[in-house]
Amino acid sequence: MKTLQELECVKALLESHGLSLDDDVEYTIGIFRDEELIGTGSVSGKVIKCVAVSEKIKGEGISAKIVTSLLHYLSGKGVHHVFIFSKPESAEQFRSLGFREVARSEPYAVLLETGPHGVEEYKKELRKSFVDGKKVCCIVVNCNPFTLGHQYLIRTAAKECDVVHVFVVREDLSLFPYAVRLRLIREGVADVPNVRVHEGGDYIISRATFPRYFTRKTDFAAAQAALDLEVFVKHIAPTLRITSRYVGEEPYCAVTNSYNEAMKTILPKHGIRLVVVPRLKIGSEAVSASRVRQLIKDGLLEETRELLPESVFAFLKSPEARPIIERIKTSDSRH
Amino acid sequence: MELRNAGSAGTLESSDIMITLHPKTDEGIEIVLESPAKQQFGKAINTTITETLMGLGIHSALVEAKDRGALDCTIKARVETAAMRAAGLDNLEVYP
Repeated sequence: MKTLQELECVKALLESHGLSLDDDVEYTIGIFRDEELIGTGSVSGKVIKCVAVSEKIKGEGISAKIVTSLLHYLSGKGVHHVFIFSKPESAEQFRSLGFREVARSEPYAVLLETGPHGVEEYKKELRKSFVDGKKVCCIVVNCNPFTLGHQYLIRTAAKECDVVHVFVVREDLSLFPYAVRLRLIREGVADVPNVRVHEGGDYIISRATFPRYFTRKTDFAAAQAALDLEVFVKHIAPTLRITSRYVGEEPYCAVTNSYNEAMKTILPKHGIRLVVVPRLKIGSEAVSASRVRQLIKDGLLEETRELLPESVFAFLKSPEARPIIERIKTSDSRH
Repeated sequence: MELRNAGSAGTLESSDIMITLHPKTDEGIEIVLESPAKQQFGKAINTTITETLMGLGIHSALVEAKDRGALDCTIKARVETAAMRAAGLDNLEVYP
């Protein structure tokens, strides 16, 4: 898209289909006929979305042209595992273009994918870390960074369950990079034998399953949480025979809170118990990663000591953490 | 011919096929085919793809094929171009 005027056409076409141009979109194409926009589609990471074709032109294969062009763009960037985020009524059309359905949450959205390494391969890999147990629980964390609060949540679950599967959100849009988050978590729970730490991959709170989590908007968050949870109950929970999911109470973040609310309705329908653990309090306030980031932002690094495991505090004092701390100080990101 | 990276050719438009070839560590041609006519023509499409690759001297590849009702000659052409791109070649002079 070159001009603002063209962009306005795209927004108008999407709007007439009940869609909007998401703010995390990196690449958008439009097909014009006689100066009129008749089709559009966008890419965000490895996700194709915001695809719409003018009602007047249906049946001419315009959406095939759009998806082809977006796939060529992605393949040029070396992305061959591609998702489509679609409304349920358009899903059939994308299936006919060779995409496979991963999960759907009526009436909001369907997630489809293409590429040789899809959800079945992910499950095959996951099956290798299957551990049998009567009470098997799952915790999904971002840990930006890992705090005593996360440690408390994981340890509480480890006491109450036979096996704890911890999934770390992989998407690298947080202030603490994924590799650092993963390492600090692994160090922080190394002494608990019944905890397995997994890489979250594309199927747990990723830009494919839950795009809004990575933007600030809270509208639609509930709808997208539902899709993420459908992937969880359909693919991940049965693979590891997960019987419950543990979460911390969410006093701060509206998006995370609406995710927790969606879990309350969806999980029990599939026989999975949701256990909400009250936040660990130190001082008068609950411990949270956002509280830690705020302290860092305010230049009060020393005060984070009481909220963090020793290894994490030591990391913050190390030279490796300097660029991260600089970013936190200048950023106003929610993550 | 040796595949160095992933390469693709073709479109998702009606009567065409989109072929993406990925290098693979072990021997053998593995094909993941999506086609509206998979039941009737799945085997025939797979045979055309395999024979075209063999003709190019490619014995190891992971093939993604999204078919929209392509004819044999189209399938062959798309596989050849995808192979050329995956091998990093400008033209098919090596083709016997």
